[in-house]
Amino acid sequence: MSEAIIKVENLCFQYPGRSVNALQDVHLEIAEGEFVALIGQNGSGKTTLIKHFNGLLKPSKGKVFVKGKDTTSLRTAELARSIGYVFQNPDHQIFAETVRDEIAFGPKNLGFSEERINSEIERVLKEMDLDVDLDEMPFQLSRGQRQRLAVASVLAMEPSILIIDEPTTGQDWKESILLMNLVQNLNDKGHTCIVTTHNMNLVSLFASRVIVMKSGNVFLDGATQDVFRREEELLTAGIKAPDVYLLARTLIPQVQLGKPLTPQGLAELLNTQSNLG
Amino acid sequence: MSKPIIVCSDLSFVYKDSKKPALKNVSFTISEGEFVGIIGPTGAGKSTLCWAINGVVPQIMQGKLKGSVEVKGKPSNKTPVDEISQIIGIVQQDAEAQLLMTDIEKEIVFPLENLSLPREEIHRRLEYVINLVNLDEERYRHPFYLSGGQKQRVAVAAALAMEPEVLILDEATSELDPVGAEEIHELAGRLKKEGKTVIMVEHNIDELAKHADRIIVMNQGEILRDGDAHEILTDVNFLQSLGIYPPQVTQTAFHLREAGWQFERLPLNLVEATQSISALRKSQ
Repeated sequence: MSEAIIKVENLCFQYPGRSVNALQDVHLEIAEGEFVALIGQNGSGKTTLIKHFNGLLKPSKGKVFVKGKDTTSLRTAELARSIGYVFQNPDHQIFAETVRDEIAFGPKNLGFSEERINSEIERVLKEMDLDVDLDEMPFQLSRGQRQRLAVASVLAMEPSILIIDEPTTGQDWKESILLMNLVQNLNDKGHTCIVTTHNMNLVSLFASRVIVMKSGNVFLDGATQDVFRREEELLTAGIKAPDVYLLARTLIPQVQLGKPLTPQGLAELLNTQSNLG
Repeated sequence: MSKPIIVCSDLSFVYKDSKKPALKNVSFTISEGEFVGIIGPTGAGKSTLCWAINGVVPQIMQGKLKGSVEVKGKPSNKTPVDEISQIIGIVQQDAEAQLLMTDIEKEIVFPLENLSLPREEIHRRLEYVINLVNLDEERYRHPFYLSGGQKQRVAVAAALAMEPEVLILDEATSELDPVGAEEIHELAGRLKKEGKTVIMVEHNIDELAKHADRIIVMNQGEILRDGDAHEILTDVNFLQSLGIYPPQVTQTAFHLREAGWQFERLPLNLVEATQSISALRKSQ
């Protein structure tokens, strides 16, 4: 296991004026290069936790380390170099008049040279499979293209950690898959990826590790296929395992799963079993 | 066959300032008590169709409309929207935007007071819907402190308190966690049993498969298919060609069939899948 790129120790957080802690004693380590899904009910603390990663919130108690540095000692702008955050709604993020300015904004603020910025623009458009005119107005792009532009502008800052907040909002399955495939490519290149979503089918297809939040706490944390086999506990956290896990539980309860289960994977398991029998 | 309640005839619509038609020659009839799922990729025209049914298109969202939609014989483009809203209730994706009062009870009662209904009638409807959506114990809570699923149920309760004959849920579960989404689908199933007509625009096919009798598939403003839910939702190749993710249990059986397992018909839900796969395993 490689070194922790994010380390959370004893983290408690209380929003001003509230009596209940939004986060209660959270412990967590995320290693470089992992693909993690952060799931849980609305209000379980996912967003509050993520805001501690990018320094938008600072702990009431405990510590958060990003690349070994305590986030209380870092400015949010410094953290932006390590952590890229893609908003749920791209229109909350996009503000520039042209595609070029949108992508260049982050790197410019980080003091990148013009030459480097131009090569970043070219690189991220290619990585996000965006075939658009640099002078085009972002709001004239389709919704799916705007979402990819939002990711591209974050990528231009070369963050080693990418956080994607609900990639399915306003998109259909096909568009969500397109975006997640691109995120997967980045993960293959070594980026650490953290995705929050309510779509468990998407989690099952992409994440190798699942962290379940419940009432401000880490409730379950483990390999995707192991977490999704704990159906009863998941239900108490507002999560339903994908149907293939429920089907597997009845049909092949004894089989050990080495990787997340897909319909095709389950069919193969059933088929092998019946050929053996 | 029961009575038709929504009749859509050769409906086409182009939004003002747009060139591309949002709906093209759409025709169908929905009868009282049906549970119809509408599916299709983004930009298919699903929401536009919902708005054309309740008259928001073209009365509030303007454009060029051809053909007609009739709701209980009334043309939806000419009947005042508040008159149609007593027949058709609609709940959309972002319930939070729809909630405006400080507790659940007020949220439900407010529109009823606007209808100048007698107090006893308001009370009767409030008690009925608040129990129906299982929020009796939360009635004095501020919507802010509710979970996403609860908020969405408040929106459904408020819509139902108007006693519409048809309830339209337009992606009403898309921002909910899985258990919250399941709650809304169960509620929709219960409404069908009580005789309400339910129309559900939904991306979550696994959940939709539980209660829908009939599916309308739309793509780029047109109806591609309209028919029996079981037949359409188990057509794995067709759904995938549209970028729609078929129910996982159906996909599993689909792959087994390719490996030679002989299903009479592909299962659509967990119960069917468990039964048919177990039966085939025994016979092998």
